[in-house]
Amino acid sequence: MQGLIDIWVDVQSWILETVVHPLLFRFGYMTFFEDAPFVVETLMLGVVQIGVILLVFRPLERLAPAEQWPDRKLARVDIVYTLLSKLGVLPFVVFIVLYPVNDWLQDLVRDNDLVLPTVEQSVPWLRDKPLLLFATYFLLYDFAGYWLHRMQHAFPWWWALHSLHHSQRQVTCWSDDRNHLLDDLLASVYFAVVALLIGVQPGQYVVLLLLSRMVESLSHANVRFGFGRVLDKVLVDPWFHRTHHARASAAEPHIHDSNFGAVLPIWDLLFGTSVYDYKRRPTGVDTAEADADNGKGWVGQQIAVAGRLARAVLATFRPRQAIRPAE
Amino acid sequence: MAQSPINVGSVLARCGRKCNVAFRLASAGFWRVRSGPLYTMSSFPTRRCLAAVALTVGLAIATPAAASPQLVVVLNSDEASLSIVDRQTMKEVDKRSIGREPHHLMLTPDGKELVIGSTTTNELTFLDPITGETRRRIRNILDPYQLGFSPDGKWFVTAAYRMNHVDIYEAKDFKLVKRLPLQSLPSHMAFTRDNAQVLVTMQGSNQLVAIDLASQEVVWTADVGEAPAGLYAMPDGKRVLVGLTGEDAVAVVDLAQKRVVKWVVTGKGAHNIFRMPNDETRVLVTNRLDGTISLFDTTKLEVIDTIRAPGGPDDLDFTPDGKQIWVTQRWRRKVVAIDLATKQIVATVNVGRSPHGIYINGPHTVSRSVAPPPEPTDDKTAQTPKASLPDLLPKVLAPLFR
Repeated sequence: MQGLIDIWVDVQSWILETVVHPLLFRFGYMTFFEDAPFVVETLMLGVVQIGVILLVFRPLERLAPAEQWPDRKLARVDIVYTLLSKLGVLPFVVFIVLYPVNDWLQDLVRDNDLVLPTVEQSVPWLRDKPLLLFATYFLLYDFAGYWLHRMQHAFPWWWALHSLHHSQRQVTCWSDDRNHLLDDLLASVYFAVVALLIGVQPGQYVVLLLLSRMVESLSHANVRFGFGRVLDKVLVDPWFHRTHHARASAAEPHIHDSNFGAVLPIWDLLFGTSVYDYKRRPTGVDTAEADADNGKGWVGQQIAVAGRLARAVLATFRPRQAIRPAE
Repeated sequence: MAQSPINVGSVLARCGRKCNVAFRLASAGFWRVRSGPLYTMSSFPTRRCLAAVALTVGLAIATPAAASPQLVVVLNSDEASLSIVDRQTMKEVDKRSIGREPHHLMLTPDGKELVIGSTTTNELTFLDPITGETRRRIRNILDPYQLGFSPDGKWFVTAAYRMNHVDIYEAKDFKLVKRLPLQSLPSHMAFTRDNAQVLVTMQGSNQLVAIDLASQEVVWTADVGEAPAGLYAMPDGKRVLVGLTGEDAVAVVDLAQKRVVKWVVTGKGAHNIFRMPNDETRVLVTNRLDGTISLFDTTKLEVIDTIRAPGGPDDLDFTPDGKQIWVTQRWRRKVVAIDLATKQIVATVNVGRSPHGIYINGPHTVSRSVAPPPEPTDDKTAQTPKASLPDLLPKVLAPLFR
């Protein structure tokens, strides 16, 4: 294991020392010097994730597809989303935009002396149990993620953004990152607030975070298998998440308002939003406006969804009717 | 199938960390045996080891608080942990959970406690500087990134790098007295020789800020250059050196003129500055981009030697004999020991993510805001004025292993 870590660190150091640091120095951005290792590691993790998608998840999709399509044209745009997201372009844009917001949040905490107790301060017993402490933080973040996802479905204006993620008729292992830029921004602000409230995860668990992203990519994969009737109550599997991406119909107008969990299905089980009927359903949305995302490129989708958001905001007093499917 | 060796000494040391004698024996590599599924007693030097255990336990009881000059504390700033490194085996012997993102550490004015700031947990952890054991914690210290005690021992000052402020606390009870919001990224600090001011570098807004400790107000600000970091108050009390991480130089700031009067090129990413043991006229400057450490003469204001230290050298500390420096390599997740005479790396130790602050128990540690106690002459007497029993143990036990 130490050997693998050494290789990882050597690659990271080489990128930092030969490419990133000289560029930061040359262009006078040494303020970000301390952030550079994190950025480089995130990029490296992105490359690993793309490698796993290509070498593991795509062969699985070929081997046992849940849905058969004559071609995968509609799925191609999701590759662009994945590359932009996992190779750091979109996170960089989000970081730049959020920088002042983050400063404002920090000042708010400082000026009002809002020093909240962290998990380990509230439960000192957890201090010397790093794995258990991590599990606690992971649970809290996944719980926060569950409620973020529910809000994305509940507020009409937010659904206008999030419906882009659902409009894909060919949901594949590339679809996890198919989100509107504003949706990514809102999620980042939300998690920044969560981080201020409960603290942030220590960096040593980066591998486990990578694994959770892998679970999310796999859960979108077009495969007709799950983890079995016991394990699928523990970890989100492709069956579980495919139900969440199911196209609403007159018979099941709210089928996509289920199975919100990203990694752990326990929240759906607890709050009554889980559906474990193991039925195969087509994916996508049943409103023509959102369905029109299919066939558009990345730019076209971003523009179309921005328009959809504007209309949803204007129609605030007539929530959901114009936007939500089957209502 | 090859079996991994079980280092019985190491196990013993872990079981009784307070038992300094066992620790020293483990460090010396005694009792290393090759294991089967469990280690085989037939290959185990039972009689000798039982005798050694008995002697060890007896001596440990006799000298329970014996000092360990071998201990190195490394703060893994991208984790919630600190590493304890043994300088004799050159290995990480323990990793302990503390508050998240610990960056810097500082001895209390009486030298009896080592204070560690955990920035995102907003708390201070106090360690026994000799054994490394946790003694107490103080909460609600907002973003304690850089720490310092005023030389008169009256004030405890923190620079909140993330939150952009400097806090002044009563050193006796850590009660907040004043919070001074500043511009951007307060990173390092130094106290003026007359005890009147604390100087703080602003890594984001490229300034040096002087705070008067009596009035607890900012009294002047000077632009010093790109990304200023480490500080060193010169012996003349009139000037201060500032490491410029965004440049390749150290700036000399005149405190009366309140401006930079000279730049001296050291290396790209000049960062932190440390006084050499027993010598106020020479300092070490870490150059993080160049991967070098400059030996700098403060009287001539020039670099007199350069030591290669790849991996972005950041903080460092001196061994008790003053012959080695131990340097943290942030992104390489290692600390390296460099012999100052040969300028060679003599050891590399794997630690946690982003190792930052480092402390070596001894008279030459840089983590001391107040005047150090009288300095002993060699490594072995660093903490105890005369040779301790643990130091004599290998000699006592040597016949058992012949």
